[in-house]
Formats: sequence, structure tokens, C-alpha cells
Amino acid sequence: MNIPLGHYLILAAILFAIGLAGALTRKNAIIVLMGIEVMFNSAILNLVAFWHYKHFAVPTAQLFAIFAIAIAAAESAVGLALVIAVYRHYKSVDVDEMKELKG
Amino acid sequence: MNYLTLFRALAPEVILLLAAFVALTFDLLLQHSHELQQRMRIAGVFAIVGLLGAIVLLIQQAPVTLLGGTLVVNQLTVIFKIVVVALTVLTVIISIEYPVGRHVGEYFATVLFGAIGMMLLVSAEELITVFVALELTSLSLYILTAFHKGALRSQEAAVKYFMFGAISSAFLLFGMSYLYGVTGSTNLREIAVAIQATGSTPLLVVALLFILVGFGFKVAVVPFHLWAPDAYEGAPTPVTAFIATGSKVASFFVLTKFVMLSFAGMPGSAFWKHLTPGWTMLLALMAVASMVLGNLAAIVQHNVKRMLAYSSIAHAGYIFVGLLAASVTGATSVFFYVIVYALTNLGAFGVVTALSERVGGDDLEHFDGMAKRAPFLSLLMLIFILSLAGVPPLGGFFGKFYLFMAAVERDSVNFGLLWLVIIGIAMSAVSLYYYLILLKHMYVHKARNEERLKTPVYLNLTLAAVAIAVIYLGLNPQPLLALLKNFVAQL
Repeated sequence: MNIPLGHYLILAAILFAIGLAGALTRKNAIIVLMGIEVMFNSAILNLVAFWHYKHFAVPTAQLFAIFAIAIAAAESAVGLALVIAVYRHYKSVDVDEMKELKG
Repeated sequence: MNYLTLFRALAPEVILLLAAFVALTFDLLLQHSHELQQRMRIAGVFAIVGLLGAIVLLIQQAPVTLLGGTLVVNQLTVIFKIVVVALTVLTVIISIEYPVGRHVGEYFATVLFGAIGMMLLVSAEELITVFVALELTSLSLYILTAFHKGALRSQEAAVKYFMFGAISSAFLLFGMSYLYGVTGSTNLREIAVAIQATGSTPLLVVALLFILVGFGFKVAVVPFHLWAPDAYEGAPTPVTAFIATGSKVASFFVLTKFVMLSFAGMPGSAFWKHLTPGWTMLLALMAVASMVLGNLAAIVQHNVKRMLAYSSIAHAGYIFVGLLAASVTGATSVFFYVIVYALTNLGAFGVVTALSERVGGDDLEHFDGMAKRAPFLSLLMLIFILSLAGVPPLGGFFGKFYLFMAAVERDSVNFGLLWLVIIGIAMSAVSLYYYLILLKHMYVHKARNEERLKTPVYLNLTLAAVAIAVIYLGLNPQPLLALLKNFVAQL
């Protein structure tokens, strides 16, 4: 069975949209982080699909994908640490409760 | 390529890395035997020694391009790396007196990691390196923003900064994946060639849009500015200075590279009545929104850091006007303005750091009667604020003048970009109002407490040196301009 490139791109675009919707609409900071992670992974899927179908000769995108995976992991580590730091103060991970700064 | 060339090209970054580890280790050894204040000084001195070493190495560097544009060293990147390192030195100096909590070594090490990220960002001409360097910078800044462990608003600012920043990074990565897919390369120059050949395709337009969204967040332009006021207000003030200057310089440099190098084949048009899609049109819309909203929102602020945040959004708008000229003069004026703006802002935040710690807050009321309580720092603040407002003969005036000149010169027959210049000048007039409100609080209002404020001599001298640089760049901008103009071709 041969799946064309377009299918991967559409899947990645849908994943990106789902991730963005989750990151923007959810109140729970952990779910926002999960949304961001889905957005990163959709981009990685794009990279690998493009490499496999169009630029198979040079493995640049594989490198890019591996770097992106590592960075996404670092990003979530920092994000979770910050959420824990806030949780210590508010006893909650609800982003709507963070209203100290506004104007 | 052998490893010795690689090491030579990376030597300044390696020195900073070593300095970061030395600061970390020494602080670990000293943390039980020394007072917090002493530890701050010792770690700060290690950081400064490392940074000065990096400047010495940078001056001696020979031009080289490694690994297909992963690391480009030429005169232009060296100048910008020196600017980034100098801004980091100033950040470290204003941090030494600031109570960042007991994790002293970690604080200075993270500042240095952020500086390394900015330096790599300046020298990268390749998507993977740009992304990695941008993330190294951003992650360091998120952590630094949260460094005020006791203060709730510092934590909250860090979470908000992180959420917006991470979403923007995802946009950037997604845009880059399309850019790679369409052009088959991650090198900015090869991408430019591929785009010239194919012209603009729908996927490329999406890539351009997403990449501009990503960078728009990093440089805080409307409509991607929402994190900036909160992050600026909540972060420890030296960190605010670092976010507002170092990361802006590096981000603007790489953004200029992207739009003028890679996307040169799909410029569109921002000329009045001839708007056509492309990066200049998108940038024009963002510039107008930033200049208008940034300046108007700054008027109603009561917090000095927040006001400066909105003013920096407006300044990003002015810089975009210069970028739109898409010419040698345009790029030169953008670089000149970014450097002047960064120096001025660092000075202003330095004064805010020194004073707000001693009066217990950074609202406008806290600065009442400051001219009597701290006459020298108030004088420096006057210089910085007037330079930000663009009053001649200070650096900020000439920076803005060249930006608007470049935009007008772009189309000297029909003056297609004149509408942006007119909005920019009108909004500069508006900005004078809120800058003067701050000065009014400092010079006209009566202080509730007339007691003189004592600030350390080294801090006064450093900030005075920054002020002299700002005045010098206003009185004699030619040397730096000529230098930048010569090297812009290396972009």
C-alpha cells in the first residue's frame, strides 16, 4: 500500500490545529503543555514525511527531527518545572487564576 | 574541516561555557562559608571575566563558514556578537546587587547560557541551528524570569512567558518544516536560490506566515506581544533588561537574515494603494499595529517596567519600518537602531534596578522626587528616556531618523512607504507624553521621603558609561554606521 505525501501533510496540519486549540482553550496548565507537545510533534511528522518523499538523498530532516524531539523534551521539562513553581503558590494549575499581572 | 578550525570558530562560546561552569562550581564550594552578597560578587566577577575573554577572542576571529552555514563568522556577526556579549556584561553588573535568591551560581550560569544561545543565533545561517539557538536563548530566559523564588509575580510571569514562547516555537518549527519541504534545504542561502526558482507557492506562503508568527512573538510585535508586559513586569529587573536587549538584538538580526536573504524572492509590496501579499505587507501591518497600540497602551501604565515593555513593543514597530525598506540602507539603519535601542534600554532598566530596590517598588509613584534623592542616576535616566523618545542629539533620534529615511528613500518617486513614516512620526510624538510623565514624577513631584539613596560606585560608573555611549552615538553616528554599511553585504 502506498500512502501519498499529501495524507501525511494533512494529518500533520490537523494535529497542529488540535494542539493549538488545546493550548489556547484549556485552563489546566498541564493540558496546555500537552497541546504544545502535539504542535511540536506535528511539525516533526512534516519533516520526516518531506524527507522520505521528496529529499530522500540527504538525511538533513532526520537530523532536524532528532534535534526537534530533544528540544521538545527540554521545553516540557522547563514548562513542568515552572508549573510546579506556580502550583506551590496557588495550589492550583489553572491558568485563569494567574491574575497578579495585568493592564 | 578539522576540529581545530571548529574549535577556533567556537572559542568565544566555549569560553562562556567554561565561565558558566566555573561560576556554578565555585558557588557550590562557597555556599556554606560565604555570605550571599559575597557569593553574588564572586560569581559575577567570574562571569564578567569570561565575557571579557569572549570579547578578546571575538576581536581576533578570522572569517570562516563551517558545516554548510551552521556557524558563520564574518565581520558583521562578530560586531553583533560583541554587542550581545557587552549587553550581557552590563546585565551581570546590574545583577550583582539584585536579590535573586540563594541560587547564585545557577543565576549567572543561566545568564551565560542565554548569551551563548544569542551568539549562536547571530552566527547561524541554517534552520536547525537557528531553531536550537533560539530555544537555548528562550529556555534560559524562561528560567531566569522565574528566578525571584519568593515573588508570586515572577513565577506567574515565567509561566505566561513560557506558554506564549512555546506556542510560538511550535509555529516556527512548523513553518520551518514546510520551508524545508518545499526547498529541500535548511541553508538560508540555498533556500533563497530555491525560492527564486519556484516563486511563491501556497506552502511557501504558509511557511512564511508561520515563521513570521514565531519571530513576531520573540521580538514582541502586535498582535504577538501579549506576553511582553507581564514578563517584563514580573521578571527580576536585570532579567527584564536582558530580555529587552540581548534577546531582541539577536532575534532582530536573525529575522533580518530570514526576510532579506531567504524570503527575498517573495517580497510582496507595502506601498500605499499597492499592497500585495508577501513579507513586506505582513511586516507593514505588524509595524502599524505595534506603533499605534504599543504607544497608546503605554500611556495608561502605572508601572515603569510595564510602561517600558509597551514602549519596546512600539520600538519593534519602528524597526520593522526600516526592515520594510529592504535595502542596504534599510538593513544598516535597522542594525544601528537595534544597537542604540538595546544600549539605551539596558541603561534605563539598570537605573530602574538600582532605584526600585532601594525604594521598594517600581511603580511611577515610587520614583517621585527621585531627582533630589538620587540626582546622578536621575540625570542618567533623563538621558536614556529622552534617547528612547527620540530627542536630538541623542542616539535614539538619529537611529529613528535613519530608519525613516531608509523607508522614504525606498521609493523616492511615489513615496510608497511614506504612510508608515507618517504614522511612525505621529506615534513618536505620542510616546513623548508618557516618557515625560516618568520624568515629571522624577523631577517635579515631591518625594514622600527626602532621604538620599546610596548606590554603589561601580554601578553609577557603568551606567554613566552607557549614557556616554548613547550620547556619543547621537553626536557622532558616522563611524558605527559606516562600519555596519560596509559589512551589510555579508548578510
